[in-house]
Amino acid sequence: MRDNQQPAPVVDVRSLHVRFGEVEAVAGVDLQAHAGEATALLGRNGAGKSTTMRVLAGVVPLTAGSARVAGHDVRTEPLRVKQVVGYCPDVGGLVPRATPWEHLQLAARLRRMTGWEEHGRDLLERFELGDVAHRVTAGFSHGMSRRLSVVLAALHLPQVLLLDEPFDGVDPIGVEATFEVIADARARGACVLVSTHLRELAVEACTSVSVLRGGSRVATLAAEEMAGEEGARAYRGLLD
Amino acid sequence: MPTVASSTETPPVPAPPRGLWHPRLRGPRRSDLTDAVRAVVDVGHLLRFRRATMRRRGAFAAGMTLLLLLTATAATVPALTPGAGGDGRAFEVLLLLPTALGAFLALAVVSATASGGGRELLARDPAAVHPVSPTTDHLGALLLAPLNIAWLLQVWMLLGTTAYALGWRPLLVGAQAVLLLWVLTATAVAQAFAWALESARRLPHGVVGVRALVVGLLGAVVGLQVAGQLVATFDRIPTQWVVIGMITGDPWVLARTLLVLLGAFLLAVVLGAVPAHVAAHRVPRDEIGVEGSSYGVRRTPRTDLGVLLRTDRASVWRAVPMRRGITVLALGPALVAVIGNLPWSSMTVLPGLVASGGALLFGVNAWCLDGRGALWRESLPVTAAAVFAARAWVLAEFLLVASLVTVAVAALRAGLPTAAETAALVCTVVVVTVQVVAASMRWSAARPYAVDFRSARATPAPPLGMVGYSARLAISTTFTGLLFSGLSRIPEWRISVLVALPLLIWSAARLHRAYRRWLEPDQRARVVTTVAV
Repeated sequence: MRDNQQPAPVVDVRSLHVRFGEVEAVAGVDLQAHAGEATALLGRNGAGKSTTMRVLAGVVPLTAGSARVAGHDVRTEPLRVKQVVGYCPDVGGLVPRATPWEHLQLAARLRRMTGWEEHGRDLLERFELGDVAHRVTAGFSHGMSRRLSVVLAALHLPQVLLLDEPFDGVDPIGVEATFEVIADARARGACVLVSTHLRELAVEACTSVSVLRGGSRVATLAAEEMAGEEGARAYRGLLD
Repeated sequence: MPTVASSTETPPVPAPPRGLWHPRLRGPRRSDLTDAVRAVVDVGHLLRFRRATMRRRGAFAAGMTLLLLLTATAATVPALTPGAGGDGRAFEVLLLLPTALGAFLALAVVSATASGGGRELLARDPAAVHPVSPTTDHLGALLLAPLNIAWLLQVWMLLGTTAYALGWRPLLVGAQAVLLLWVLTATAVAQAFAWALESARRLPHGVVGVRALVVGLLGAVVGLQVAGQLVATFDRIPTQWVVIGMITGDPWVLARTLLVLLGAFLLAVVLGAVPAHVAAHRVPRDEIGVEGSSYGVRRTPRTDLGVLLRTDRASVWRAVPMRRGITVLALGPALVAVIGNLPWSSMTVLPGLVASGGALLFGVNAWCLDGRGALWRESLPVTAAAVFAARAWVLAEFLLVASLVTVAVAALRAGLPTAAETAALVCTVVVVTVQVVAASMRWSAARPYAVDFRSARATPAPPLGMVGYSARLAISTTFTGLLFSGLSRIPEWRISVLVALPLLIWSAARLHRAYRRWLEPDQRARVVTTVAV
């Protein structure tokens, strides 16, 4: 039922379960995220952050529960979900023998974008990838790959921006550029989810933080509550 | 900003300043012998690691048992057939044995050279964090060389030929021992040669130099053929003494032959480590060339399928192992056909051979082309049907290009074909292509593996899996080739078309089943999360 005070969440996950054979990667996550807000997903390795992101990106099917993205059910409307989502996966995320520009062309064509070239070039320049736009990504460093993955997620100004470990191995210029992408997305009313291990960066980039443990959500707090030493203690307390 | 070499790239080891000890290079505290012993011990560690990470150990044990049984069968059963060891056909076969031994060496050199030094016991990226020496890499590649259906088929053919030529008599045991030692020696020599060529390829302008060498060798072969001297040249290959050692029945000659071959084998194994070290300390220019090249901007395709096809084609044709492999596959059999003056009726075996080999370059694990980009690609708004269609199409055209080049070159000396021969050959090309694509797409979904095709030595599946795939492909496509070979001798060309139809329908149904499987989100998620690791 819709709350009169609070607009309907753009990302609405209820009792999400994802099972791979005997392994339960996500065990009952509930998560709501709203337009114009950035939510960080924090937690230890194996907490279910990346799997939750993959479900929201329409890459991995859920086993039980429900997940809606911008009003679309990920189970029954996966293509609609993929149209409104921009996804930066946690690993790699790049086709090894395609160039950054060819990645942009692929994404733009499949999303029916026109006149995207100037924006694409601008994004590449902001992430300092303009010089390598026509070289295959197989030779990229880890940081370069991460930066390009963020560019690809942001290209079509998605309604929902899913960034999984966007800061991992990225230099300060890349981190700043990612902050800008998140801020721009929020400013135009997009919903942003950032999964990361880097608590301080998550606090700086996001408005709220959800902590996952053992495949379930254990807390959702305002970002400032997780800041500084106090926040570090609170975070450790939630992980134990 | 780095633009070419990845942070995971193994850099060339710089030479240490004079007088300083360096753990990886020759120094006062570590002898070459110690390094060699350590390298051999490390091969054991890597083998145990591979065994521990094996998915289906039962299948592995069964596969190895089957291979041993087939080898024993090939070495003995032909000796019991009528005419074996006689003066007629068996003697003629014996006369051809020295040439066959030489041909085995030549093909082993081509195979090891095409794969840039043989297969890896541990892939380049995972190996980068371990102190795996080039000697270990060299020995591992030698151990993996027999796990290749082309190698196995040749060995079985040589064992069978020897058994038939000599018949069931006491000297057969010694002869087969000599033959096996020759096979091992030739493999080790080929491996050493391949490392030497790979180290030359990694010199400045080495790629051009090696290509010039290959073109020169091809030119020499063609020249010898034109001059009618090719067979005579093959006959002059000094392998006759090996055959003499096999058949004289004199125990001293046999023992001397065995000792010489054993010595040559050990020498080739040891010497092969030298160019392996040299190659390891040089930058792989072919691979770096692909990663460092700038690719021109082309207009965005107008359809979803168009852009998917372009992306997949780039993944195939920009990969060094695919480019090298398909060149060897397309030209190798064609050259043999031209030299052997293969008639149109026998040419139907070529498309199956080439298509099977092409599928083994990446097709049997087709989804691994996306590598770590698989997760991102799966998040794009396009139907799974279009993605499947693009991948199957790109695989089919890859196989077709190779098959057509082979047939075109092989046809140079074959004259004009009859309508029946043309129909049989066209039907073979179409049927084996659909057969191989259907099998490949089925296996790709059933058993995906994460593979990094940056290395010229990469294969799409583990070694024993490759043997299984290649055996199954070889059986089905050879059967098809032989069937249409027979049909090409029937004057009515429509019979080939009529026979091709049910075969095509059968393969198309199997392809459709693979397609239905790919449409299931659970199956697709399993594949993309596996290949993206």
